[in-house]
Amino acid sequence: MTDAMIEFRDACKRYGTLVANDHLSLRIRRGELMTLLGPSGCGKTTALRCLTGYIRPDEGRIFIDDKDVTDVPTHQRELGMVFQNFALFPHLTVQDNVGFPLMIRNLPKDQRTKMAADALRLVRLEGYESHYPRQLSGGQQQRVGLARALVYRPKVLLLDEPLSNLDAKLREEMRFEIKELVTRLGITAVYVTHDQAEALALSDRVAIMNRGRLEQVGTPEEIYEQPQSRFVAEFIGLSNFLEGRIEAVDGATMRVTVGDLKLTAPALPQTGPGQRVLLFVRPNEIELLGPDAPAGENVFEARVEKVTYLGDMMDYRLAFGQGLALRVQGDAHRRFSPGSPVRLRLPRIRCWTITSG
Amino acid sequence: MTLTRAYVRALWDGRMILGYTLLLSLTLFIVAPFLMIALRSVGKGWFYRLWLPPQLTLDWYRWAVEVGNIPEVMKNTLIIGIIATAISTVIGIFAGWAFGRRQMPGKEVAMAVILLPRMIPPITYALGVAKIFYTLELVDTYLGVALAHVSVCAPYGILVLSATFEGLDERVLEAADVCGANTIKRFFYVVLPLIMPGILASMIFTFTHSYNEFTLTLLTYGPNTVTLPVRTYLAVGDGYWEITSAMAVIMVIPSLVILAMIQRRAEPEKLVGGFKGV
Repeated sequence: MTDAMIEFRDACKRYGTLVANDHLSLRIRRGELMTLLGPSGCGKTTALRCLTGYIRPDEGRIFIDDKDVTDVPTHQRELGMVFQNFALFPHLTVQDNVGFPLMIRNLPKDQRTKMAADALRLVRLEGYESHYPRQLSGGQQQRVGLARALVYRPKVLLLDEPLSNLDAKLREEMRFEIKELVTRLGITAVYVTHDQAEALALSDRVAIMNRGRLEQVGTPEEIYEQPQSRFVAEFIGLSNFLEGRIEAVDGATMRVTVGDLKLTAPALPQTGPGQRVLLFVRPNEIELLGPDAPAGENVFEARVEKVTYLGDMMDYRLAFGQGLALRVQGDAHRRFSPGSPVRLRLPRIRCWTITSG
Repeated sequence: MTLTRAYVRALWDGRMILGYTLLLSLTLFIVAPFLMIALRSVGKGWFYRLWLPPQLTLDWYRWAVEVGNIPEVMKNTLIIGIIATAISTVIGIFAGWAFGRRQMPGKEVAMAVILLPRMIPPITYALGVAKIFYTLELVDTYLGVALAHVSVCAPYGILVLSATFEGLDERVLEAADVCGANTIKRFFYVVLPLIMPGILASMIFTFTHSYNEFTLTLLTYGPNTVTLPVRTYLAVGDGYWEITSAMAVIMVIPSLVILAMIQRRAEPEKLVGGFKGV
């Protein structure tokens, strides 16, 4: 028994000239909640459908629980799945919807009733047994979907954008509920979404996909704080990008020239002077100082160009150096007006770099 | 100007009366022929320009049953209707699945060909059918007449059921697969219940169609397969208007029963899932 519950081994899927999954290799550990995150058309849904068996990869193999399931039909894969549009059986009551997988497995009626009741208690939906799906709200329907997926304790739970049909508030609420449930049951879960906030909030690990390839796999912290490519940095949260060149490396830090400015950033392994780098800083990690703040490491003069009020914070567009622009988000209590000179500080450890070109 | 306005207002004020007059005329227009037939089937000595029959009697019904052999004819009509409905529904399910759920080249052309028997004049089509059926010795058999009916009934079944299948949510079927259902279990536990409203609608359509079908029956029937519409038509030729009226009334009864059934069964919530947009 390996530690991987699910493994994609070099899975490829093409539609004509479009490559939906390009040599996808990914191992998902037992009991882990892995999110496949990416923009629409990045291949995350194709990957999920390779797991359900609705799509057979053109090349490569799929393993579930150390068993090669590439050619196993969907109904023998023992999965639980939650759908974006709920996909409940409209002609069955809540009780029968949840009991459906058990009925298919020929379990006796009293056991079915008991297990369905347990599953419904799990998703806090007792008392709705005899309702039909159309009598329930979206959130309740998705709870039924969740109960149906969990009722026979499958090895793997697949969630295909389960929250995107719900309103924002409910979405946030159910995010934590799903996370809590999956952790409590110790089930391996694959969660597909295009919502980065959702991915960061509930995943053990996130796999970011772009154009059929994996861009980066890591914990939410790694993905957010140490993106390995421009795509990941752009996709997750906001970021400022500055192109530069390494000037000198000095132990754990290095000097980077950006336009006519010199910055200090953490050293990038296996690089030397002359290497072109892409430096990025999150708008909320840049410190905005008054115009007469003392000079220091990575402190530059700048001018406020545009101010947008966002309620809990202020969003500034700053011009600095020669034709460089930065987006900065600062707290709403200290305001700078357009045209006013400021100083900004890019904290050294927040200057993340990757090699470019 | 003010006069025009006054007229408009008067019309507007009187719109209820106007509306009801219109509705009443329309109702009379639709119902009057039925009333005439019903009245004539129980009237005795109703000649010349009398507004109402002077005497009422049920004799014409007795005549219709005894002379017109209505029980036998009714039996023929129902058997042929049931056979035609069964065949049309089975064709409808398979063709509806193909039309509603699969991508295939020439879908529109295929649909046009299927609808063709409904588009060309029935008598033209019936002549061709009759010629073929004489060769195959299908004339004057239940199966033969039913098959002739299928050619015009099946298109209805196919139309209704392809719309039903189109309305099936792909994700619901996928959910059934993931829940562990194989193709057979999926069909019986999920697909069939969901398309049931469509099947019922298709059956009602095709049965009433077969039951009322005249032209195709006229050219394929024989002494053993006289149906109600044909029998009524023959009675017209015999010149006994009262007996014909009695037959016509008898013919209407099953249609009314079906109508009542539809009214009771077709509760919106029972149709859920079978049609698009639900």
